[in-house]
Amino acid sequence: MNIELILFGAFALLTLLSAGLVIFARSPINSAMALVSTFFFLAGLYVLLWAHTVAVLQVLVYAGAIMVLFLFVIMLLNLGESPTRGRPTLARVAGGVATLGFLVVLGLALSKLPVMAPPAMSGAEAATFGTMASLGQTIFTQWLFPFEAVSLLLLVAMVGAVVVAKSRI
Amino acid sequence: MNLPNLTLADFLPLFPAIIMVAGASVLLLSEVFLSATSSRAYQAVLTVVTAVAAGFAALTAMFEPAHEVFLGFGVLDPFSSFLTFVVCVGLALAALSSVSFLRKRGAERGEFYALMLFAAAGMSLLAMSNELITLFVNLEVLSIATYALTSYLRRGTRPSEAGFKYFILGAFSSAVLLYGSALLYGATGSTKLTDMVGPLSGALAAQPLLVYAGLILVGAGFAFKVAAVPFHMWTPDVYEGAPTPVTALMSAGVKAAAFAALVRVFLTLGKGIDPHLPLVLFSVLAFLTMVAGNLLAIPQRNVKRMLAYSSIAHAGYLLVGVAALFVTGPGEQFRLLGPSELTGGTPVDLARAQALRGILFYLLAYTFSAVGAFAMVSALERREDEEKGTAWDLERFSGLAQRRPGYAVAMAAFMLSLGGIPPTIGFMSKLLIFQSAVDSGLVGLAIVGVLSSAAGVYYYLRVVVYMFMRPVPEGAQTLERSWSTELTLVLSTAAVVVLGILPGPITAWLQQASRIFGL
Repeated sequence: MNIELILFGAFALLTLLSAGLVIFARSPINSAMALVSTFFFLAGLYVLLWAHTVAVLQVLVYAGAIMVLFLFVIMLLNLGESPTRGRPTLARVAGGVATLGFLVVLGLALSKLPVMAPPAMSGAEAATFGTMASLGQTIFTQWLFPFEAVSLLLLVAMVGAVVVAKSRI
Repeated sequence: MNLPNLTLADFLPLFPAIIMVAGASVLLLSEVFLSATSSRAYQAVLTVVTAVAAGFAALTAMFEPAHEVFLGFGVLDPFSSFLTFVVCVGLALAALSSVSFLRKRGAERGEFYALMLFAAAGMSLLAMSNELITLFVNLEVLSIATYALTSYLRRGTRPSEAGFKYFILGAFSSAVLLYGSALLYGATGSTKLTDMVGPLSGALAAQPLLVYAGLILVGAGFAFKVAAVPFHMWTPDVYEGAPTPVTALMSAGVKAAAFAALVRVFLTLGKGIDPHLPLVLFSVLAFLTMVAGNLLAIPQRNVKRMLAYSSIAHAGYLLVGVAALFVTGPGEQFRLLGPSELTGGTPVDLARAQALRGILFYLLAYTFSAVGAFAMVSALERREDEEKGTAWDLERFSGLAQRRPGYAVAMAAFMLSLGGIPPTIGFMSKLLIFQSAVDSGLVGLAIVGVLSSAAGVYYYLRVVVYMFMRPVPEGAQTLERSWSTELTLVLSTAAVVVLGILPGPITAWLQQASRIFGL
């Protein structure tokens, strides 16, 4: 049993635990904090997949920026504890059955997938795979045009958001 | 590190978009220095000047030989340059007609024109995208700009409803398009359209469901953007709720750009698959769109809503031209107007070039007629009537010929052009589209098109009847005059009539513009 497998098991278990806590926590603040820890453990899984950049972005963007926004909204709305669970209605039972059925189908489909060994990489490839440097090089050489188009998209979205958010024009 | 070898030629197709983005930035930054009461008359003028400059840049690029730019992520071809020109025409006219519209509502802001310019830049970039991710990003640039413009004036419930509906359904359709692109990427292993053609036939043999699902989802995403039936539900509400100049830009520009992307994607990928699939897909869409668009427009008494349904019907006629692109062998026996003047290439190439010419001319014709008609609607509407829902009622056109004969003549020209009656540009463009359909052997679709446009004449002529044969209603408000609206009307009417009688000047351009990259 190598260290990679142990780390994977630990991160996977913690991810599942905190994801469950997101759903089952009564207070929205606790849910949000559990979501933060889910994101952190997911980032650990990404590192194990050799995707360092994605892991860093996960922590910076999701656990950092987006969760702060979530917490702000929760505090501004001043949500209290969620009410008690209540009696099972037809919609709830049907939803539960549908979800379970979907999970079964998903599991069957996944179990049919052939197990493939990871593609072999040469030494030079393995050294640069998933690093910020190689990602930057791809974005700024090959994918330059769509990347610049995305910057235009962000500018337009920002101006549009300001225009729509203005109380009165 | 191997850097790609980018030269000035790579940036040539981007010039129109760069000019428009620069113009938008000037508008945004100059707004910082203005107080609430400063004069903002320069903003529309700057927008029009920018649009003219961008249109000129597009025309210059049109006579360059077609080539890939940015490592195949985009292309420079006469087709995309001509569409950029059409977009610039629509933008200039829509910006001119928004001057008095915004002033009457006290809502003149640089952001409005900047968003219009951003939307037009997105349309221009969409027309030249040759890779699915680039295409998606550019489609979002134009969509997000138009979402924001739709809810620019949020007074009353209609604009909010329109903006929200457009945003939610637009996001949904973008997701559908993206899903289809992902499936096609999975099937072919590439997102560059040119590189996808080769593996596509192999993928079709190995996993036909995956390829078909991908193509149909991409087609559905585009069908939403061009407002084809059955993806048209949003159109009437959004067109009615949006500020009228924005509706004009949406009906002209968004449609032109979405058709450009649709034609490029399906024409390029069509080389790798059996052409019957796109033929059947677009024939069915064209049939439904023409019939439903015209039938739904007939009961409308609200002119703005009627024009929205009419824009659906016009998407149907354009789809007839798109379907004609995928015919394998043209029906020589049905030559409607004698042999085509195009020479060189196989009959299939000729039929294709003719259909492309028809689509492009139709888009130009529709831009002039629709933007003119919406400018007229915005000249007559008053903010106070919007909540009552009577701002766009047919009654407002009653007796217009006695009050403002010039306006009435202009509106009559637009209505005749939209209805396809000679001697207007609308007639010429319908003739070209249906001619190419008949030449390609789609006789049935052409007959349905002619019949449904005959049904459409009813609701276009009803506006003319109200203007010329009804008395002026009691207590009608005096109409304010504004130089910009009148300039829009004069320019559109001149184009509609002159190009309808003498389409000569632009046939050379159209001949050139029917050259699409990779054909």
